[in-house]
Amino acid sequence: MPSSRILPEFELLLPESVAEAVKMLKKHKADATIMAGGTDVIVSGTQGFITPYVISLSKIKGIDTVKFSKTGGLRIGAMATLQKVADDKDVQKMYPALFKSAAINGTPQIRNMGTVVGNVLRASPSGDCACALLAIGAKIVFEGPRGKREVSIDDFFIDYKKTARKVDELAVEIKVPAPKKGEVSAFNRITRTTLDLSKINAAVSLVVEKGVCKSARIAMGAVAPKTIRLTDTEKLLKGQKITGSILEAIVASVVGQISPIDDVRSTADYRNQVSPVLLRRTIEEAIA
Amino acid sequence: MSKHPITLTINGQEYNLYVADHHTLLQVMRDQLDLTEVKYGCGRGECGACSVLVDDEKEASGRKAIDSCLALAVTMDGKKITTSRGLGENGQLNSVQQAFVEESGIQCGFCTPGMVVKATSLLEKNPNATEEEIRFGLEGNICRCTGYVKIVDSIKKAQKVINKK
Amino acid sequence: MTTSVVGKRIPKVDSKDKSLGTAEYAGDIRMKGMLYGKIIRSLDYAHAKVKSIDFKEAQTMPGVVKCLAPKDVTKNGYNTTIMKLLVPEAFNEVFGEISEMYIFNTHIKHQGDSVCGIIAETEEQAERAAAKVKIVYEPLPVYLTAEESRQPDAVQFTPLKPGNLASEFDPGFFPDKAYGWPDAETDKWGDDLEAECDVVVEDNFYLNKVKQCQMENNCAVALYDNRGRLTCWSSTQMPKPVQVLLAELFELPLSRMRYVTTIVGGAFGARLGMVCEPHACAMAMAVQGRPVKVEMTREEDWIASETRFPGDYKMKMGFKKDGTPVFVDAHFTGYKGAYYTHGGGPIFCAAAFVHGMYKWQTMRMKGDSYFTNTAPVGAFRGYGNPQTSFVQEQLVDVACEKLGLDSVEWRKKWHKTIGDETWLKGVTYASDDLNSCIDIAAKEFKWYQKKKKYATQKGPKRRGIGMAIMNHTSGAWPMLLEHTVSTVKLNEDCTVEIMQSVSDLGTGGHTAIQQMAADTLGWPMEDIHLTTGDSDVNGFDVGAHASRTVYCGGPATMEACESVKKQLMERAAQLLEARVEDLEMDSKKIISVKGSSKKSIDAREIAKQGVYNFFDAATGKQIGIPGQIQGYSSYLANHCSPPMGATFSEVEVDVETGQVKLVELVNAHDIGKAIHPPSVEGQLEGGAQQGLGQVLCEDMIYDKEGHCLNADFTDYKMLGPTDMPKAKIILVETAPDPIGPMGAKSCGESALMGPIGSVANAIADAIGIRFTEAPITPERILRGIKESGKTFA
Repeated sequence: MPSSRILPEFELLLPESVAEAVKMLKKHKADATIMAGGTDVIVSGTQGFITPYVISLSKIKGIDTVKFSKTGGLRIGAMATLQKVADDKDVQKMYPALFKSAAINGTPQIRNMGTVVGNVLRASPSGDCACALLAIGAKIVFEGPRGKREVSIDDFFIDYKKTARKVDELAVEIKVPAPKKGEVSAFNRITRTTLDLSKINAAVSLVVEKGVCKSARIAMGAVAPKTIRLTDTEKLLKGQKITGSILEAIVASVVGQISPIDDVRSTADYRNQVSPVLLRRTIEEAIA
Repeated sequence: MSKHPITLTINGQEYNLYVADHHTLLQVMRDQLDLTEVKYGCGRGECGACSVLVDDEKEASGRKAIDSCLALAVTMDGKKITTSRGLGENGQLNSVQQAFVEESGIQCGFCTPGMVVKATSLLEKNPNATEEEIRFGLEGNICRCTGYVKIVDSIKKAQKVINKK
Repeated sequence: MTTSVVGKRIPKVDSKDKSLGTAEYAGDIRMKGMLYGKIIRSLDYAHAKVKSIDFKEAQTMPGVVKCLAPKDVTKNGYNTTIMKLLVPEAFNEVFGEISEMYIFNTHIKHQGDSVCGIIAETEEQAERAAAKVKIVYEPLPVYLTAEESRQPDAVQFTPLKPGNLASEFDPGFFPDKAYGWPDAETDKWGDDLEAECDVVVEDNFYLNKVKQCQMENNCAVALYDNRGRLTCWSSTQMPKPVQVLLAELFELPLSRMRYVTTIVGGAFGARLGMVCEPHACAMAMAVQGRPVKVEMTREEDWIASETRFPGDYKMKMGFKKDGTPVFVDAHFTGYKGAYYTHGGGPIFCAAAFVHGMYKWQTMRMKGDSYFTNTAPVGAFRGYGNPQTSFVQEQLVDVACEKLGLDSVEWRKKWHKTIGDETWLKGVTYASDDLNSCIDIAAKEFKWYQKKKKYATQKGPKRRGIGMAIMNHTSGAWPMLLEHTVSTVKLNEDCTVEIMQSVSDLGTGGHTAIQQMAADTLGWPMEDIHLTTGDSDVNGFDVGAHASRTVYCGGPATMEACESVKKQLMERAAQLLEARVEDLEMDSKKIISVKGSSKKSIDAREIAKQGVYNFFDAATGKQIGIPGQIQGYSSYLANHCSPPMGATFSEVEVDVETGQVKLVELVNAHDIGKAIHPPSVEGQLEGGAQQGLGQVLCEDMIYDKEGHCLNADFTDYKMLGPTDMPKAKIILVETAPDPIGPMGAKSCGESALMGPIGSVANAIADAIGIRFTEAPITPERILRGIKESGKTFA
């Protein structure tokens, strides 16, 4: 019987290194849930969903850093909190979409405990950081019994809450490439009240040179079983000056690429109607 | 059900206790330590009635607000925690709490312990917060009585008092 | 008077305690040997029969003390609400009041209905054992609307209510089952009346099922002690009536039933009676000598406590072309939820507040409700008035537009006033400063400037302004009992104990009552202490509902304090050999002859000698006048001084996303006299958040099987601090009420109506499309724009 006052029983494991965590995962596999900040795992627990083992990363040192270098790009450790990422000056300057997706995510308390990597790994289709990072492009670095493995975020989201993570792997960091010259990004979302899970979210990362869009990456969430890229829309933008008629074409291209549903937050009709608007506004914001 | 020995320092007092794996910091504070100022409002990190401050040397202010209902007690081993009772000196009110009293920012009072904890951490992190920033920072602490008007007024008053010091 | 505290912005008496968190709520109670009770509820089925309950495995779980099935607790039925105690018995029969709830049920009528219970040594043990109870259900068809449950072949919720008709206006009392005047039989209705009108407007509205969402979760502790006394601790709004209901339920005389009120962590009507008190008490009766605590989860709040009355509300209005209101004809069919609780109360009041607002020549309003397999409907701040605001204030705007009249001026001209009947026929307004409220608020809001400014707009973001007025009540006389008893005990040092049941829901009632006592006696606040919340000590009081705490409780306090003061003055007169009329008492408690400082006596001497009355052997007499001084009042209200108010709102509608941004809200309230201004403002500010939530985003959503899909804060959305508009509350005190204590009228519930009507009107103003279904969500707005074919260049 789920209860928000008393969690189901589980065994809590506290590895003190990544290697130890990997050993535990190898042993317990799908019987273990990895807990970073706990904001998602505990809530799931109150709804009755928990595995017999929970592996907390809280004792592992050195995986909570946010590091940026002009050549290496951004590296977000598994335990780097949303607030830490949002407070980072390099993130604010170099990755506006990621910054916003972390800064307006949840509440201050949630941001103080929850992690960006956790948000991505949870693979909720309305995940805000997941949407921003899919647009920006990133690699998720896993450690497992077979060693280290990097997975492009483009290949990471497979289906509803199903990802490319193997059952005995631990995500230790997310690597984001250094922004290209002329790269601009933006993130937006539609919610019911300010504090809310997204009804629709959108993120774009465009490389613009002399007013011409050299390349585009567009991601949207809560409009399909997983966060998706709108590749048709990206093709429309490539090599184009972003004018009124291009924006009109962009707007028209959205509905064919999304498959929203009715749920407790909104309707398929609404999402079909408003997704193009949200995307158009996000592009306008990025290039402003 | 295995139990872990942990040490928690709460409002300056050290507690040595055994806690179960699946018990949250909120449960342990309320049920094992009788620190009932920390409230159960929703158990899911939505309402903030269970908010406490946890020391974190990586924070500029040295501490941050968390929902104790989302923290497993075991993972809080060794941490220093402050509740509404420990915000001021010697069990007295801090400037934020004093302002809430003066501005009538309290009605039923159930959200208040978490609210004053949140307001304290908000002003510690951003002493010159604008009204917009105050309101944004208050998200995650739900009040159903005040419409947030006198809560914001109280925080603005505390801000004046603190910044004068 | 130098020490006057009424009307001052003093700190509330309980603020320091609450700011530290040392104020104790029911969930904070710890007692020696306390056990924990878990109510097992039907979570999968909204309508079912319980075929069997198997405790075999649960009984063996660690820490389990008792498992309770329906047969293990009292067979008596009850009603969570106390309303039946507030009207004569005959009235209850006429209105069809029933007590068809049981502590544990075999006919499950809503998701969350209670089935059985477990008592264990710890809360966790009770929880784990509960998971092992095996219950077999036989599902029944689920009815979510009145339309569904009133079908002739529908399963009957209770044999006491055929056709699942929970309530209607009884034709024995209401001619034609309608509230209105003159008698509907003698009046012309239908075509005749409409033919007299130049403009007729009508529409069908739907009101949403919203939840109080007070921050304190429901919790009750009970102990059936080894002296055969049952005590219950919880945070009800109505302590004395709940004491009576519990005594009745468990067949105990009142001398063996004690009810203690813990600090109320918000209520808003959700606690206008009982929630889990019956269950805690039943469990306590099963384990005599040990206290049992039942603490409900947040999720249980939505599904196992009472909500506002949703339903279909249609209204038609007719006017002459000069704006004269001719008739209003309305019908509200409510979806009652699973149980009778509050039967037709809010529906009657919805009609009543139509009656109290405008000078219709003729009014007819019908109301009824049908059971549904959803959370039971009960009381929520406003009690029918918020629903009326959404409907009536919108239709008035529609009419004014058709008539080509200014909607503000029309309201100023045609709202009821002194001498007109209020929400209750036969009771007329005692005071009215609504037009001042309208003028002051309009000015503060810049209504006319904004009207001009927003007359032409471009782009996807459209501003709109709207206003609404409201009438409510201060206490429910004469419809319901209004009785409060106050005993004021004078301590030997001339400080006082006010022993009075005062329900402070966060509203500031405790502070206000003490302020009124202080000013009546002319003494400082520090000398006043309120002993409240214990049925062993306090006399009768109805409780906190119908916005009555100050208006109906205050006079009892004042009367009892006047009595104390009178007794002191009379004894002083005797001792000073003077006439009472010639004496005065200063704030230092010195009683002296007016204009003379020579003849004076310290009131403290009188008080002390009354208690410590010694025999003086030298004189052969007692020293001083014997007897501890006490004041007593058994006060019954004789009016309800309805307050009125005006709200102006500004919104910005994004026509591409349907989102509504709340820009500004100004609410001016005709309070008469604000005893504690910050508390009055706090009520109006807080109530606005609930009203705005009802009109924009709050709604309990059910699936076809009757499961509530959003029983959590994640998906039951309330406006947060960043969503609230810039809000200004103006307290208008230029027309003190001639009857209200110190001129005061109520404010507790008044806050919700204006925001609802004014925002609905503002949205219509912004985009020229009107919404008759609440909440007005972005989804509904975009659908409305699409259906209208309107474009916004």
